[in-house]
Amino acid sequence: MNRPITRRKFLATSGAFGVTLGSGLMTKAFAANDPLKVGVVYVSPISEIGWTKQHSLGIDAIKSDLGDKVSITAVENTFLPQDAERIFSEMASSGHQLIFGTSFSHGTPMQKVAPRFPGNAFEHCSGIVHFDNLGTFEAKYYEGTYVAGVAAAHMSKSAKIGFIGGFPIPDIVGPANALLLGAQSVNPDTTCNVIFLNSWFDPGKEKEATNTLVSQGCDVICSMTDTATGVQVAGEKGAWSIGYASDMSQFAPETHLTAFTLDWSSIYVQAARDVAAGTWKSDVRWQGLAEGVVKMSPYNEAIPTDVQASLQELQASISSGGIHPYAGEIQDQDGNVRVAADSVMPDPEIRGFNWFVKGIIGNMG
Amino acid sequence: MDLFIAIFTGTIIAATPLIFAALGELVVEKSGVLNLGIEGMMLVGAAVAVWMHFAGFSMPVAILTATLAGSVASLIFAVLALTFATNQYAAGLALAILGSGISAYIGRGFGGAPIDGLSSISIPVISEIPIIGPLFFQYDPLVYLSYLMFACICWFLYRTKAGLVVRTVGESPESSHAIGFSVIRIRYMTTMFGGAMAGLGGAYLSIAYTPLWVENMTAGKGWIALALVVFATWRPTRIILGAWLFGAMTIFQLHGQALGFALPTEVLSAIPYLATIVVLVIISRNREILKLHFPASLAKPFKPSG
Repeated sequence: MNRPITRRKFLATSGAFGVTLGSGLMTKAFAANDPLKVGVVYVSPISEIGWTKQHSLGIDAIKSDLGDKVSITAVENTFLPQDAERIFSEMASSGHQLIFGTSFSHGTPMQKVAPRFPGNAFEHCSGIVHFDNLGTFEAKYYEGTYVAGVAAAHMSKSAKIGFIGGFPIPDIVGPANALLLGAQSVNPDTTCNVIFLNSWFDPGKEKEATNTLVSQGCDVICSMTDTATGVQVAGEKGAWSIGYASDMSQFAPETHLTAFTLDWSSIYVQAARDVAAGTWKSDVRWQGLAEGVVKMSPYNEAIPTDVQASLQELQASISSGGIHPYAGEIQDQDGNVRVAADSVMPDPEIRGFNWFVKGIIGNMG
Repeated sequence: MDLFIAIFTGTIIAATPLIFAALGELVVEKSGVLNLGIEGMMLVGAAVAVWMHFAGFSMPVAILTATLAGSVASLIFAVLALTFATNQYAAGLALAILGSGISAYIGRGFGGAPIDGLSSISIPVISEIPIIGPLFFQYDPLVYLSYLMFACICWFLYRTKAGLVVRTVGESPESSHAIGFSVIRIRYMTTMFGGAMAGLGGAYLSIAYTPLWVENMTAGKGWIALALVVFATWRPTRIILGAWLFGAMTIFQLHGQALGFALPTEVLSAIPYLATIVVLVIISRNREILKLHFPASLAKPFKPSG
């Protein structure tokens, strides 16, 4: 039961389970000492690195925390909302008290299924809508890119950073801006060339995009997609790189500066404990370095030790709130002041970031 | 100069999978068969190559197996369209969709796992020459193979008797049948050759270009290859030019984005497709020449009688 199973197999077995329920075994299935049933739906297969891998680590954390008091059902590779809706609904009706959706595209189906099962707890990553039994959680990626930007500026010779993103959406545009703002806090002349692939997962195009940025003089590449291609190709070209979601140093041990990794385990474990104890309440969480949801992976040895120390300090200051990546004054690409000096960008604006800061070379259309 | 070299080499590499697939389809269409299943066959080739690689086989074996797999996939189409003389459009589309499903199944468990890709060969001495070396002599072996295949196919189609027979079958299967050629057998052979080339193009994507397996990683390259054959008016040289144009536009749009061109990124992403189609439509507007190269029996089912 703990092994990831295919969508089809899950639907078949849970259908059979439903029949069993109907034939009078219901009391047995819900006996008092039965383990907590947790369901999780992944958007892609669990691979070595990347977004889904980090979520599977959260599930692993639940297993090691609650041991045999929990039983997990994981369904991989479910992107389409209509498939996800069926699975969420099956999970809820087969007694899964806690159900996780791990992708933005799982939002609409969860919003449809959750009201039909008011007794079950639903948790949605990167969601924006929440109900009494539907909680949401999201990471402050920009805190990670800000620190990475500072590291990049210390290592860059050309003062040109390259950024590759999936789509021009606030969750990508914001971190790209923070990357450059971090770099400019070290060297105000730093610029950042931005390319959007218009795809989350197109390694061929990502490779060409990396080559393009390197040939235009960028010597640090940060790629916010679901592959390690950017890190790998930058390494082959002798450029520094910044990984995303997972530590990607294995793909370019010499040139991988650091990665801003995502660690959801505290959120997963807390939700499971609360549901087990009957104290779960739906919540909106938006967490970063302070809570350990965003972490910096070990810094490359090539970064001088005093710089590494200052990066550690910076992490601490961001955690304590002493430094805010989006503290003014911030100008946009045309030089208009968008965040005044001595003020900080308000949270709703951060979550809806739709403009580039000064020094970004690129266009979001 | 470095920028020029980057754009040039990027273009050549981006064009290679298209060249394989489109040249294969050219031979198929020259024999009067329209196989719309290139996308599916490429995907099968790509998945099989990765599968063989992770099963511990060497690169040449993985590539060869992928080529054979493309060929086997094309048999599904061949049996339907040639033996049972069904509608070729329908059979080809079925193969395209089936191939995507089969490849996803084969590639299960390898999704996103990185591969030590096919390394480029550096020919001693000449690859060291400044500018010329990096421009022409530092690619992986499959890039050179694609141009070798181009030369072979030109020679075969236009300089050999067998090539003449293939073209004749494409022009008039009835006459070919009447003078004693086995139309179905010849079409089986060309279809399987086309499948093999598509498989090779797919293998290039998954173990040299990316290099890793991702579901539906061809991202429409099979359809572009198909369009190239039509818009290149069934002439091999124009296929190469079209593939280069597509490759160049793919690279240019990325450079354009990174330089901050004031165009929406979605429009820039569409440019390679638009530019390739516009240019090829312009060069193929001469109807007389178009007729001269068009295989007259294309996509018409043939049943030998008598």
